[in-house]
Amino acid sequence: MSKTKDLLIEIGTEELPPKSLKKLAIAFKDAISKSLKEQELKFSDANWYATPRRLSVLVNDLEITQEDKQQQSRGPAVAAAFDVDGKATRAAEGFAKSCGVEVDQLERLKTDKGEWLAFNAIVKGKQSSELIPSIIEVALSKLPIAKRMRWGDSDVEFVRPIKWVLILLGGDTIDCEIMGVTSGKDSYGHRFHHPEAITINEPADYVVTLKQEAHVLADYDERRELIQTQVNAIAKNKNGDAIIEPDLLDEVTSLVEWPVSFYGDFNSDFLKLPKEVLVSSMQDHQKYFPLVDKQGNLLPSFISVANIESKNPELIKQGNERVIQPRLSDAAFFWERDLKHGLANHREALKKVVYQKQLGTLHEKSTRLVNTVSNLAGLLNVEISTARRAAELCLCDLLTDMVSEFPDLQGTMGRYYAAADGEIDEVATALEEYYQPRFAGDKLPETVVGQCLAISEKIDSLIGIFAIGKAPTGDKDPFGLRRSAIGLLRIIIECELDIDLKELIATAAENYPDAIDAKNVIADVYQFLLERLRRYYLDEGVSSDTFESVLAIKTSKPLDFHQRLKAVTEFRKLSEAESLAAANKRISNILKKSDINITEIGSVDNKLLSEDAEITLATALNNYQERLTPLMENRNYKSALTELAGLRESVDNFFDNVMVNCDDAATKNNRLTLLANLSALFLQTADISKLQG
Amino acid sequence: MSQDNKQKEISGSKLSFQQLIFELQQYWSAQGCTIAQPYDMEMGAGTFHPATFLRAIGPEPWRAAYVQPCRRPTDGRYGENPNRLQHYYQFQVLLKPSPDNIQQLYLDSLKTIGVDTESHDIRFVEDNWESPTLGAWGLGWEVWLDGMEISQFTYFQQIGGLDCKPVTGEMTYGLERIAMCLQDCSSIFDLVWTQNDERVVTYGDIYHQNEVEMSKYNFELANTESMFDWFDTCEQESNKLIEAGLPIPAYEMTMKASHAFNLLDARGAISVTERQRYILRVRTLSRAVAQTYFESRETLGFPLLK
Repeated sequence: MSKTKDLLIEIGTEELPPKSLKKLAIAFKDAISKSLKEQELKFSDANWYATPRRLSVLVNDLEITQEDKQQQSRGPAVAAAFDVDGKATRAAEGFAKSCGVEVDQLERLKTDKGEWLAFNAIVKGKQSSELIPSIIEVALSKLPIAKRMRWGDSDVEFVRPIKWVLILLGGDTIDCEIMGVTSGKDSYGHRFHHPEAITINEPADYVVTLKQEAHVLADYDERRELIQTQVNAIAKNKNGDAIIEPDLLDEVTSLVEWPVSFYGDFNSDFLKLPKEVLVSSMQDHQKYFPLVDKQGNLLPSFISVANIESKNPELIKQGNERVIQPRLSDAAFFWERDLKHGLANHREALKKVVYQKQLGTLHEKSTRLVNTVSNLAGLLNVEISTARRAAELCLCDLLTDMVSEFPDLQGTMGRYYAAADGEIDEVATALEEYYQPRFAGDKLPETVVGQCLAISEKIDSLIGIFAIGKAPTGDKDPFGLRRSAIGLLRIIIECELDIDLKELIATAAENYPDAIDAKNVIADVYQFLLERLRRYYLDEGVSSDTFESVLAIKTSKPLDFHQRLKAVTEFRKLSEAESLAAANKRISNILKKSDINITEIGSVDNKLLSEDAEITLATALNNYQERLTPLMENRNYKSALTELAGLRESVDNFFDNVMVNCDDAATKNNRLTLLANLSALFLQTADISKLQG
Repeated sequence: MSQDNKQKEISGSKLSFQQLIFELQQYWSAQGCTIAQPYDMEMGAGTFHPATFLRAIGPEPWRAAYVQPCRRPTDGRYGENPNRLQHYYQFQVLLKPSPDNIQQLYLDSLKTIGVDTESHDIRFVEDNWESPTLGAWGLGWEVWLDGMEISQFTYFQQIGGLDCKPVTGEMTYGLERIAMCLQDCSSIFDLVWTQNDERVVTYGDIYHQNEVEMSKYNFELANTESMFDWFDTCEQESNKLIEAGLPIPAYEMTMKASHAFNLLDARGAISVTERQRYILRVRTLSRAVAQTYFESRETLGFPLLK
């Protein structure tokens, strides 16, 4: 390895978007590393740093020159390179000239196809300092920036205006211009603590110099940890625990260069508001960390993180307290007004709110939900009147003042207001569960009424949106139907509900007026759900042949599907699985070529059995058919397949010793029937012939 | 709060509301800004003022600052909420092209009005601005002072559907909020607008009755039917004026239509889907105005380039 130096790149900017800061910094480092590798410049490792005003990459032990490379160019064939007198032809002279040498300095390249003139050149490796400017420029132009902007008079586009560019290779800068800004050795410190330039002498000094002299903690993770430590220490002092959501912690880390945490208080009268309202006010609007006591009750305090060691910290505390006060007053105002109005009283006004132009108002939607949920409630043995009531109320909180101010609290506010209105607990709970799961991996409704309501909503949306021709395509899914579908399947499977998808879709489709051609999309919606089911299982690590083996059974009950799938998964762990799968595949091929009607298999004629192996198999088959009957009645697929594993020896023996396609037609048909019966036994659970070895 | 207490709290160093405006005007005047005057029409934000919307279009340089009263009917609270008004003031600064030191100029303006940047926590927090009715968007920040949003800071990228070249930097100060910080005051209505040896005139003295009555009008009494008609009329007029190659009166009609829409919105007279349609109608006007204005300046040879 040639001589190495460390490389530091810092792009100084105006304040960067906090929610994408970390992503940008990592992408920048990755792009630089990748380009260096492509240029065959070796280095030991690369690190990223990021603050609101800088994106930096530190590359350790970077080779200062590329290695020299041998490059061979091939000229004319020797035969064409010299005339009869042995004098170099024009072709030879031309080639030599292009290589910058005389003809007699060229070498000969001999292969089995002939002999050519050749020139072996040593291509000098380039200096890394020559290559780095364009590597940086390209990396910046490729960052995953959602919206680029221009500023001033310039045509340059970046996430925010670039203020300075620091490039250090060893102790020297690389003179160049990056996106219109001239490079240098200077960084800049904290906007208020150290607004002046600060010279970085060596790349390795970067983090330390900024920290010790310029009030900047460039190391993102260090800053994040420091904030966490500060916040927890303050919480402990206040005898509480801070609620620290990882996303908020990241966001706060991205908003400060020099974190100084502090707490503030608010009037404890506000604690009468729903906890979620207070938490949302603090987290979303103000980026505060809420505090709870040991029992999990909110305390009338918050912790916030300033970006300055203030000369008068009390001012910052008071200022922040003054901000949260009116926000909470507003929330309290909404709360009182909504309570006075009453949740059910919003139902009439749902008639004025359009859900979707073609699909009508929210009121129409809730009426459809009432129908679907009543059906489901009957099916699942829960109080129909409870489910109906929940469906009538589930959209009402959308019209409350609180939800228009805090849209994330839809459902949650429904629960609070329903409870305050004296609705029964199950109704109130269902109003919140209606929206679950809200995102991938979110919790599912716990009450059956909530489950029915959530399922009704999802199936209604699927059918309606499909019917108006807005089904998801490619990466377009404006109504989030993929998520709805997965949510629906998860509820049915994970809450173990015995629901038939085809029936569910058909009943829900009936709620739509004729103008919406809902009946026409029943098959498409079903197919879409099966596709989502596949996705769901593949994401869980189920192999696609396992999925196919159950899909072939064509069950339309997701829970039943799931039980079969679990059985196949377990079955595949058995040593007998592979050979039985192969046998089934063989049977399926044999039967396909025969005239046997698989749907109407006759019984085996014992009199026609002659070979030992077929007699053994037929006996075993009889045996198993009887033993499996009760298992199938209880959908005990797992035990069924485990039992069937015991057939392996008889099946293997059969194929080893019996010729199915024998000359005697009656014997042949009897053997085919035997196999068809065997196959049917497995098919009660899954088509294991689909399993790959 | 009694009159006596109020006077005690406002020490000599704290700016009254009108002093705050004077200071900002002085400061930005010294930065080469034309101090424009408020536009004499109802608008939802200082951005609608032709000194912003129209001047951000095209290649001509421009530096201006002005106070603009803003009306947002839906924000009315009958004078009962100490932090929300349906009528309030913005101080608007335009620098075109946006200079390299624009953030520093802004921070220095805060120092001028008495914000100690070594004591307070000042932050630029991402906030991307978009005005669907103006067909405009830009990237920038909210400026936070101890957690309070006191200004909007935007690099315009598009106005009326036209790319901004050069880019205008827009700074919008929320005057009431800043005054509340400076005067350490928890209700807008208690802000000192001005004081002399004899008495204090508060913001409430001047505007409380206005808030009560206008909220009543906006939410309860505004005649929605005639407002719908008025919207249509303004739209027709605007289109006619665009045809006639008169972007400035056409723009006034666009602003009138936009305000009629805001009032209808406050009265809850527009459904969600209809709302989108009205926004699009105003945007169509804004775009036509922007294009026509650009052409008219071009015809004049972009006078301010000289």
